[in-house]
Amino acid sequence: MEFEMDRFINTLIDRSPPHALEHLQLVLIPLVIAFIIAFPVAVLLTRQRFIKYTDRVMAFFNMGQTIPPLAVIAIFFPFLGLGRTPALFALTIYALLPIARNTLAGLKGVPREVKEAARGMGMSEWEMLLRVEIPLSMPVVMAGVKISVVLTSGTAALGALVGGGGMGAVIFAGIDFFRAELIIAGTLIIAAIAIILDRILTLLSNMLTPPHMKI
Amino acid sequence: MIKLVNVKKVFPGTVTPAVNEISFEINEGNICVFVGPSGCGKTTILRMINRLLEPTDGDIYIKGQKVKDLGVNPDQLRREIGYVIQQIGLMPHRTIEQNVALVPRLLKWPENKIKPRVKYLLEMVGLEPDKVSKKYPYQLSGGMMQRVGVARALAADPPIMLMDEPFGAVDPILREKLQDEFLKLQKEMKKTICFVTHDINEAIKMGDHIVIMNKGKLVQHGTPMEILANPVNDFVKNLLGVDRGTKLLELTKSEEMVERAEEIPTEISNKNCFILAIDPVQRALELMMKKDADIVGVHDGNKFIGTISWENIKKHINRISGDEA
Amino acid sequence: MMLLNSGFRWFVYFYEEYLGFVSFIFRRFDQVLEYSLNHFSLVLTVTIFSLILWISLGLLISRYEKLANTAFGIGNILFVIPSISMFGVFITIPMLGLGRTSATLALVLYAMMPMVRNVYRGIKSVEWPIIEAGRGMGMSARQILFQIQIPIAWPVIFAGIRITVVMITGIATVATYIGERNLGRFIHHGIARESADMIIAGAILVSIIAVIMDYVLGKIEHRITSPGLRNKEEL
Repeated sequence: MEFEMDRFINTLIDRSPPHALEHLQLVLIPLVIAFIIAFPVAVLLTRQRFIKYTDRVMAFFNMGQTIPPLAVIAIFFPFLGLGRTPALFALTIYALLPIARNTLAGLKGVPREVKEAARGMGMSEWEMLLRVEIPLSMPVVMAGVKISVVLTSGTAALGALVGGGGMGAVIFAGIDFFRAELIIAGTLIIAAIAIILDRILTLLSNMLTPPHMKI
Repeated sequence: MIKLVNVKKVFPGTVTPAVNEISFEINEGNICVFVGPSGCGKTTILRMINRLLEPTDGDIYIKGQKVKDLGVNPDQLRREIGYVIQQIGLMPHRTIEQNVALVPRLLKWPENKIKPRVKYLLEMVGLEPDKVSKKYPYQLSGGMMQRVGVARALAADPPIMLMDEPFGAVDPILREKLQDEFLKLQKEMKKTICFVTHDINEAIKMGDHIVIMNKGKLVQHGTPMEILANPVNDFVKNLLGVDRGTKLLELTKSEEMVERAEEIPTEISNKNCFILAIDPVQRALELMMKKDADIVGVHDGNKFIGTISWENIKKHINRISGDEA
Repeated sequence: MMLLNSGFRWFVYFYEEYLGFVSFIFRRFDQVLEYSLNHFSLVLTVTIFSLILWISLGLLISRYEKLANTAFGIGNILFVIPSISMFGVFITIPMLGLGRTSATLALVLYAMMPMVRNVYRGIKSVEWPIIEAGRGMGMSARQILFQIQIPIAWPVIFAGIRITVVMITGIATVATYIGERNLGRFIHHGIARESADMIIAGAILVSIIAVIMDYVLGKIEHRITSPGLRNKEEL
């Protein structure tokens, strides 16, 4: 395999940006949608009325990670075809589990005495959820989001396979043409995106965490 | 049986010794209680006896042999010393039977010896073997787990037991019950026991001998009576509490405070106030309050030997705690 | 009436689009067999190496805390690298090139994060009084490891194994880009040739395998957990 330095720099600066942007979209959009779905569902599952559905729903989310994303794209191929939409769809499904699982764990981890005291003070269940349970579970929930980010970021590379664009295209080109610069450049940028997003999330997490829980 | 000579322990990274040159001897068959505030070094000493910690200086002897030299490695030593800790530490993934049988199995006892032994031990600590053997720790209450902890420590019939706040994790009522039951056991077993607690009342109740510690140093040691009667400084006085005198009453036998007499005063026979010579003086006080009397007669099983009066008791208490009055 | 009509339409569509893959599987049965076996053998090989390597590492760092940070740092970095890049990087290494060795190595590296993390967490979850009691009773360090720590940590460790196996099964499909001949090939060739049957056949087969493995491992996980530990909440 060949590697040329100037080609490498060139890839980083010229070729990558549009792909990087696509990649960012491939990561952020599924993440946001996955959060919008997984978080409320998981929250609902901790409410008395819905506890009995927990096993079934979590099994469903679990499937989302058991079935390889490419397979998901493939299965929905007749409906969604190839391109960005199926890629986004599959990535969203893949991102669901970590968020759901951690939200569940975070909420369950809120000490019983705290909830007891809150109810005793006259908080309605809704208020308790908003003011007590969710803030206290934030660190764990955000950890789950971070896991999702990392997983999605890595898997998004495959989006290129189905015409969804993203940095994967650069890497696949590198493999097809046997050029190491492309592979390494692509990898570095994807890793960089993942790390930057991780940092941003850490900042966000710190802002949302109640002071006494900050490490 | 257990001797500490100039034992010192300094933890790495600290300047003040946790245990500062303690020398002391524990007699066979005695319960020796180490008592003092948190951080005084009592647990540290305990853990040096079974070599969970090694002293920085000084020696510990068991039956004349240096603990350092006993056995090929510390594990061997510890299998012959019973160890009970406050948080109990039962193996959650094993049944009660497996938990209790742990040391015998380590010592490779034959199975047909182990099973009846476990049964015997569980009964001894007040549990029903049939009900409890196959259960797992999470199914037991705190009190039951504590009893299993004691049974486990006794399993291989070790001559020495180290107990670190063994009854600390339960409510006071249960704690008292466990203490009484354990004292009853000890009457039969006559083991050499090192007991650590921060509760002075527990120390007085359980100890044949008490060692008071503060900040790593030995402050005073002696029998409960000796310490109650003659606290060596203010620290000890405070530790014992202002009700020192009354505590002493619980320990003093009536026959020791009795004023000898031949005739039974009429007052006593009228109200029928009698206590036994071996009863603690505390009993006399209770009876006085119950029958509204100032004086109580003392019986020696079959013979009247004398009286104890309220004046008597008052003088005694004042003499002991007098300096605070 | 309208409902029935569109329902029927859906059914026909479904039948045509989806069940085509069934005949595909029958037609190419030996290929299906070959690819499936390759898939299994790859996953098996990777799992065995991962178990040996990462459980040992996990036990090591739980004993020597200082190594833990480095280990997790490395694991995190590895995890962030997209699968295709990992494979891509490996084939650039002169001695490895395309094929099974690169694929295996790459997958084993991926397994590091979930395995080591779960081993570490599992061992660390054993509460201190239990170990203190074990030591106090005279258990040697080895006995404590094998009779206390590992048995108590085992459910968490096994959960890690389960996650790893499922994950590897999925990522193995991507290895077809560096020469592996497993079920991923159906998906990728199918995409290249726009053959729905091929794509769906590959996807369904991989999914079925993944789901079955997950289910079977889940049952085993339940069986091997001591009843005394079952009431602990799984995170």
